[in-house]
Amino acid sequence: MAKLSSEQFEAMLIERHGLSAHNKLKSATIGIGGLGGLGSNVAISLARIGIGKLVIADFDIVEPSNLNRQQYFIEQLGQNKVNALTENLTKINPYIKIEGYQVKLKPDNIPEIFTGCCIIAECFDKPDQKQMLVETVLNSMKNVKIVAVSGIGGFGRSNEIKTRKISDRLTLIGDDKSGIESGFSLMAPRVAIAAGHQANVIVEMILEK
Amino acid sequence: MAILKINGENKIFEKVPSTMKALLEFLNVDDATVVAEVNGQIIPRGSFHNTILQDGHNVELIRFVGGG
Repeated sequence: MAKLSSEQFEAMLIERHGLSAHNKLKSATIGIGGLGGLGSNVAISLARIGIGKLVIADFDIVEPSNLNRQQYFIEQLGQNKVNALTENLTKINPYIKIEGYQVKLKPDNIPEIFTGCCIIAECFDKPDQKQMLVETVLNSMKNVKIVAVSGIGGFGRSNEIKTRKISDRLTLIGDDKSGIESGFSLMAPRVAIAAGHQANVIVEMILEK
Repeated sequence: MAILKINGENKIFEKVPSTMKALLEFLNVDDATVVAEVNGQIIPRGSFHNTILQDGHNVELIRFVGGG
């Protein structure tokens, strides 16, 4: 198997991104709540560009119904998502630090789990869970930004998915309406577009700080 | 008559819904899916019922739909 030493890997990133951008990305710690279609895609983008550390959390296991959009493999069915994603991220970037939590996120464990994160990506599926994570971060984690998603179901309408800065600490991505409760199904392309918006605005926040 | 600014738009009410919970009921929105701010202050969901709304308040409602 081909190998890249950490020095070679870092030299590749510096050549691509420039030293100053690389150092900022490398010193960032980003939290990801929920490791489904959004979270697995956000994590892979951030690992590829050399984010220093990810804190990832999900209570669930990989199921067949996940495979139409989530970054897991058939051989990982039944494995918990934290371990499966850690394995996949490490194949992409062996030098990223990953702190994984196989737990259900709740208001009383979120601040502790995501301690040290400058930005958290809200990547849940259910609307009340999205509400809970965003409210908890805005309410209890004073200097932390959150990038949340609402409205990513269906296909087409790529340009209806927007990134909107709601306040200094809250950025919202999606079309605001295409929810699964309205009969939309989730498909890899449109979910990945939203995850791309999430990862992209996170990079912007890190590099323009 | 009274005005609430909701998500940047002025909405005119005969009578402003008395609380955040009443406003969400008026708008027919499930409060379990909403993050709310009044005048830039986040309002925890558990306080929607006793958050008093008045003429001129600036309300931001972020509503979540499912999918991830």
